[in-house]
Amino acid sequence: MAAEKAEMDALKKECDGLRAQIEAARKAVNDGSMSASAGGVEAVGRVQLKLRKNLKGHLAKIYAMHWSADSRQMVSASQDGKLLIWDTFTGNKLTAVPLKSAWVMSVAFAPSGNLVASGGLDNICTVYNIKAASPKTLRELDAHTGYLSCSRFLSDSEIITASGDTTCCLWDLETGKQKVVFTNHIGDCMSLALSPDENSFISGACDSLAKLWDIRSGTCKQTFSGHTSDINAIAFFPSGNAIITGSDDCSCKMYDLRADQEVIGYQDTSLNAGVTSVALSNSGRLIFAGYDDFNCHIWDSLKGEKVGVLSGHDNRVSCTGVPADGMGVCTGSWDSFLKLWN
Amino acid sequence: MDNGMSSKTHNANSILLARRTVLQLRTEASRERMKVSKASADLMNYCTEHAMADPLLVGFPTSDNPFKDKKPCTIL
Repeated sequence: MAAEKAEMDALKKECDGLRAQIEAARKAVNDGSMSASAGGVEAVGRVQLKLRKNLKGHLAKIYAMHWSADSRQMVSASQDGKLLIWDTFTGNKLTAVPLKSAWVMSVAFAPSGNLVASGGLDNICTVYNIKAASPKTLRELDAHTGYLSCSRFLSDSEIITASGDTTCCLWDLETGKQKVVFTNHIGDCMSLALSPDENSFISGACDSLAKLWDIRSGTCKQTFSGHTSDINAIAFFPSGNAIITGSDDCSCKMYDLRADQEVIGYQDTSLNAGVTSVALSNSGRLIFAGYDDFNCHIWDSLKGEKVGVLSGHDNRVSCTGVPADGMGVCTGSWDSFLKLWN
Repeated sequence: MDNGMSSKTHNANSILLARRTVLQLRTEASRERMKVSKASADLMNYCTEHAMADPLLVGFPTSDNPFKDKKPCTIL
């Protein structure tokens, strides 16, 4: 008993020491803020995008959407129990995938365009082959002990999932088994994003932390703090050297991976709604953030200023995405519509 | 109230968790860090270098808009 208490005390002391060391190291390189550095950069001016398409088809709240790598097709998920695959150029629905469980929270398109994955309160990530004559369940990935909040395909044979059970997981789609389990968060994992080089991914969780993981070794490389509530959304800056998070604390933040700290925050006293989703334009200069206030606000990522807004939804914006060719932005909402803007 | 765990198991779990936390913090503490000024400059340079390839930032001709509604031609 005494030996255990002694070890516990020693470990706590070492933890405190290491945390202080990390904070000191971060402070030591904190020689200026991003907004100060960006003083000389030209302002972007007012960003006014027009509504180009209003996609009607879902009968209930939309929870997630994901662009296909072809920048033309897009998949959306609604708690009406369906996935819809859209041709965004025409506004036509190409395929409807009926779900076993209507409580869907996430959807993903494989880079090949052959597969989509979805999951939610059923704790299962179901992968569908949408190139078959009618959508066919390829795999049911069943090992998480909490809801499936997010998933992203690495290829047709590997997918990463984030779960309310606080873990993320890399799955082998040939066997349907977990290859690597990423454990370190102490709150529900809400969102994940793959790095441009696909060697790592980032996760945001209800413990208000964002973490960077090495995909193959399963190790957590870095932890970013600062938010004061759940992180609901996370994305990589296109260079792969920074990440953007969106939180229930009504702010977004950019953390630089090499400086290992927050370099700029995006908040406004007039914005009192939680952030549900984030997406970046192709140069990384514009951040599209979906909020509970029914809008998608546009931020200048370098100057930290609001530069525009996408208004039109009649309920919370739950998901946002920019396609690979950067030609537009899609917003999905609890009002059951998806809108395309550019 | 104790959810079935003896206090011995509870202590053992706490120690395991604390050990894992220490290992994790050691990994995180050991990394090199770049100066924020240099990191910011790199991000700014990336934005500037890629600005022209960002349609949402710099715009593009209406004829190139994949999402606009295509009106059918009428023969007069």
